[in-house]
Amino acid sequence: MDILVGWWDDYFWGSVVVAQVFVCSLILMIIFGLIGAAAKLSDNFIAQKLANGYTIVFRGTPEILVILLLYFGSAIALTSIAQIFNPDIKFLDVPPFWAGTIAIALIVGSYATETFRGAFLGVNPGSIEAARALGMSNLQTFIYVRVPEMWRLALPAFGNHMLSLVKDTALISIIGLNETLFVAKQAIGTTGEPFIMYIVVGLIYLGFSTIITLSVMGLERFGQRHLVSSQ
Amino acid sequence: MSFDFTLIIDAVPKILLGIGLTFQLLVVSAVLGLVLAIGIMLMRISGKWYLSWPAQIYIYIFRGTPILVQIFIVYYGFPQLEFIRESFIWPLFRDPFGCAIVALTLNTGAYVSEILRGGVMGVDRGILEAGTALGLSVRQRFIHLTSPIAIRLALPAYGNDVISLLKSTALASTITLADMTGIARTIVAQTFAPYEIFISLAIIYMILTWILQKSLGRVERHLGRYMQK
Amino acid sequence: MTSNAVIQMKNVGKSFGTFQALKGINLEVAKGERIVVCGPSGSGKSTMIRCINRLEKHDEGKIIIDGKELTDQVDDINAVRREVGMVFQSFNLFPHMTILKNLMLAQRLVRKTSKAEARDTAMQLLERVKIPEQADKYPIQLSGGQQQRVAIARTLCMKPKIILFDEPTSALDPEMINEVLEVMTDLARYGMTMICVTHEMGFARSVADRVIFMDAGEIVEEAEPKAFFSNPKNDRTKKFLSQILSH
Ligand SMILES: Nc1ncnc2c1ncn2[C@@H]1O[C@H](COP(=O)(O)OP(=O)(O)O)[C@@H](O)[C@H]1O
Ligand SMILES: [Mg+2]
Repeated sequence: MDILVGWWDDYFWGSVVVAQVFVCSLILMIIFGLIGAAAKLSDNFIAQKLANGYTIVFRGTPEILVILLLYFGSAIALTSIAQIFNPDIKFLDVPPFWAGTIAIALIVGSYATETFRGAFLGVNPGSIEAARALGMSNLQTFIYVRVPEMWRLALPAFGNHMLSLVKDTALISIIGLNETLFVAKQAIGTTGEPFIMYIVVGLIYLGFSTIITLSVMGLERFGQRHLVSSQ
Repeated sequence: MSFDFTLIIDAVPKILLGIGLTFQLLVVSAVLGLVLAIGIMLMRISGKWYLSWPAQIYIYIFRGTPILVQIFIVYYGFPQLEFIRESFIWPLFRDPFGCAIVALTLNTGAYVSEILRGGVMGVDRGILEAGTALGLSVRQRFIHLTSPIAIRLALPAYGNDVISLLKSTALASTITLADMTGIARTIVAQTFAPYEIFISLAIIYMILTWILQKSLGRVERHLGRYMQK
Repeated sequence: MTSNAVIQMKNVGKSFGTFQALKGINLEVAKGERIVVCGPSGSGKSTMIRCINRLEKHDEGKIIIDGKELTDQVDDINAVRREVGMVFQSFNLFPHMTILKNLMLAQRLVRKTSKAEARDTAMQLLERVKIPEQADKYPIQLSGGQQQRVAIARTLCMKPKIILFDEPTSALDPEMINEVLEVMTDLARYGMTMICVTHEMGFARSVADRVIFMDAGEIVEEAEPKAFFSNPKNDRTKKFLSQILSH
């Protein structure tokens, strides 16, 4: 463990970056997923086709390719826009944090569209009708009946999406995000100890996965408390 | 910013030179991964703690860590270990292709074993009881009843995993392999035309995904004849 | 008691955890005898007949089938299961095999019959349950009544000495019940030893040699059908009969 002395704080800040990417990409993923699901469920033909295209594209393209494309692509786009105003600019860098976060949110969001769509359709129409019959308004029915039920149906798959987001964070190191895998590369550069340095990265990600898995399990139990009989 | 089509016409044939390697990575690790997955799944459902615990720990580790980290541990980390350098499997780890195969196989094996377990658990208990009542042994029930039904149940999820595996093969480019992604990255580094090259590459992967999906769909329909009224 | 008893249950008990599903069951069934078992849901009827082919293991008393006591010896169990057929409420046909394959599988694997012979037996029995034309279909393509008849034929393929029926008509639409009962009546006429859990009282009246009433894991009353229906002795039997016959 002597080898690791001096690197703990770097791994710690790398983990903080992982957590930051996770939170930001989670929010974006939910937004992309909900928009996609709404489009798939809408009556609008074009919206449906666009949303289906979104799923097909990101299901069929390797994650690393999406990240590279977004990173280099947006850098070039940004540079050429900037050059309109100032021809002297040679190259504008895009922060890898945002390029990567948006990329993995887009990828996982494309799967989430199916999760949200399935959960919406899975809600028992009987409970909706019952709520209407009880005189609840559209909005009340949505908030008190549909959303909780959807939430319960979507949770297991949603948990897997969260795991994908965390694990895909490691890919962003390829474009230079200073998360833990990136830290390990630097550490190996000075110590020449790849095995132990990468194992530490693995353990950190395993820790994140464990936290997510346990939280989802807790939420599942919470969401199913009405299904437990009173015996 | 303009889209340079001559660049694409130039690059696509070069990228396609890597399709053989992409295929090799996919097929070899899919086959080995499936064999591994069957073993892990059998350990997991054996009902014996000394088999099922190691299986569960294996699954937990490989599903809980990024595949890229797994690839790096195998490629950069393992050669550091003396007992690996001195063992007969060393040639495997000296070669980036061998390392990619090992990592992809171990990774997909963990996921597929859980998919197979889901299939086995999905087999109706009544059907197995009927087999028991007819005098079939545990082994006979597993071969003639559980396996064929479980395979059919697991197939859609298995198909998704094969597609994930295809996408994961692109990570072999991070350990110097010249698969399609590796070649494309080299071309981008030379031409600095990420749009043209990467979008062409993405389309190639999408076509491959589509072909995989269609073929798996056919297999599914064939094996699922008995489910149609 | 009788030396020609093919099933002997002596003081059989069975618990699931702390819950005692069977208590002190004593039952002898002679060769060729037809027994109907009835009783409220949860009274242990299924558990009792499932103990006879060891789908459940009893934990008290003795069960002797055709001279062989049921123990943990695997070889003995398989030998017993070959002789004891079972028909389930939910048919439990093998969904991935055609009807013909359903009927051939156990013959080939357990009896080691040749393919041709297994096929011949299967076709004969499909004739007997009156659906030879369905041989090449898959179970899902048949009606419930047809599926249950296939299940009976599948059991008969093994040439069992005893057949156990666990509510064979409960999962069927009313219009299909009779076609299954007809097959069962036919079996009874040919002298098959049968234990049949059912609430079809018409069937019990016309076919059974004895009717057994179970409640809370015990055999409460046991009588010939005539006496059982016209003059039940136990209050629990009376209550059950009044409920089941009133609708
Ligand atoms: N595998 C089991 N585990 C726990 N309890 C069981 C099991 N099988 C049956 N029981 C219980 O044993 C009792 C008798 O069940 P069963 O024999 O199926 O009744 P019946 O067939 O008369 O409706 C019921 O209370 C049931 O809940
Ligand atoms: Mg029952």
